[in-house]
Amino acid sequence: MSRVAKWPGMFLALVVAAPAASDEAFVTNQTSDDLTIVDLVTMTPRATVSIGGKPAGVAVSRDGYRVYVTSPEGHFLSVIDTGARRVVKRINVAGGPFGVAVSPDGSRVYVADMYGRDLEEIDLKSEATRRVEIGAMPSGVAVTPDGRFVVAAARDDNAIVIIDAETFTRVASVAVGRHPYGVTIDLQGARAYTANVESNDVSIVDLRERWLVANVPVGSHPYGVALARGRAFVANQYAESVSVFDAASLAPFGTVKVGEYPESVAASRDGGTIYVTNWFSNELWSIDAATLKVLAKAPTGDGPRAFGAFIRAAE
Amino acid sequence: MPLRVLVWRLVIAVLALAPQLALAHGATPQKVVETIEIAAPPEKVWAIVGNFQDMDWMPGVVKTEGRGGVTPETATRRLTLSSGATMDERLVQYDEASMSLRYLIEHVDINVLPVGNLSATLKVAASDGGSRVEWKSRFYRAFPGGNPPEQFTDEIAVQAVSSLFKAGLLALKAKAERE
Repeated sequence: MSRVAKWPGMFLALVVAAPAASDEAFVTNQTSDDLTIVDLVTMTPRATVSIGGKPAGVAVSRDGYRVYVTSPEGHFLSVIDTGARRVVKRINVAGGPFGVAVSPDGSRVYVADMYGRDLEEIDLKSEATRRVEIGAMPSGVAVTPDGRFVVAAARDDNAIVIIDAETFTRVASVAVGRHPYGVTIDLQGARAYTANVESNDVSIVDLRERWLVANVPVGSHPYGVALARGRAFVANQYAESVSVFDAASLAPFGTVKVGEYPESVAASRDGGTIYVTNWFSNELWSIDAATLKVLAKAPTGDGPRAFGAFIRAAE
Repeated sequence: MPLRVLVWRLVIAVLALAPQLALAHGATPQKVVETIEIAAPPEKVWAIVGNFQDMDWMPGVVKTEGRGGVTPETATRRLTLSSGATMDERLVQYDEASMSLRYLIEHVDINVLPVGNLSATLKVAASDGGSRVEWKSRFYRAFPGGNPPEQFTDEIAVQAVSSLFKAGLLALKAKAERE
């Protein structure tokens, strides 16, 4: 009886939770206190989810069913069901939760405390936490695809810190350019890229050797890096452009003019399209990764940050 | 009381008890956009605004000292206010053709202006036989942690920048229409 009674509920849950057929962007709008979900096929907003607490950081789970959003002013993390497009849980986080990443198996999230010095790990089932010191102004966070290492930027220390995910302890700190902000790790887990706001360059760090490979000059005030098809795409906030360079030779490939105050940048899973949020002009732009042509523009809420991995790929 | 004194007094009065704070700032970047219509040709307005090395048109500024002309990233200026306080600014973009420039504040005492990481764009455009000037900015409140004291909130920072830009644009209008 109990077995039979479970079925309708399970069926309903599956229907409600099934992710949409199109790729979607989850854009945190810090000024308007909400999240815009943009259909990336039609480049139109599909839903707005109220968040509160000045949402900034975002991380989509690998399976696409969950999105985690940080609210530094509200001191909480929101768990969003991507199918139902609503907040299913709020978890209090001390300090100013900012940069966020989720473990590949979806069991834990890592949250940088921009008001403090730590990175916090939250076990999503038990809500047990562990903390490790990162340094001054923890900012961007990324996880290697195998889940073994977490990389966080200590912005005001001009360094990134590599954390062993199992023991949750520091294994290395690597000096990079001035004020590293966004952190991106390649699909192989071999290299980390940081956008350095003050030195106008991107640092590339070898994660196995744990040393700085190169600082690649980009435009004024870079905030984020996306990787697609062997190239790096860098959003430059003051230059209002995306700089593109070859990830192997580091040779420049081109520059795309974008909207006002671009911040976050991400690639589609197939690497064919690049998405950029423009903080001042309240837009999400799509760019062809090969031709560097601007494809479409979608409106967002006020002050889009989308700081983190904000794209959910369709099934 | 002259406008320039009033504007800076307002800002300073709010911050009289401010502690010295580090370089860090708040979590939420703020937007301010102010515009004004001026009955003078855009070229004439740009001749004033586009001279990065002379900001004497700004109320409260008694001296502009700088170097690097209008070369982005190289050009800097130090503004001395009537109170004796100074502000250090750097030009980051300069577009003669579209009559727009962008600068950032590299150093300001937060007792003078309660903001961090401020960048701003001044743009002149033709409008109805005259000009339209837009002054827009992105910045943070100066207080670095959560729950800022009341003299360091986001709202106070927005108020300070907004009144500064409004006063500046009014003075610019008066100067461009007079000369």
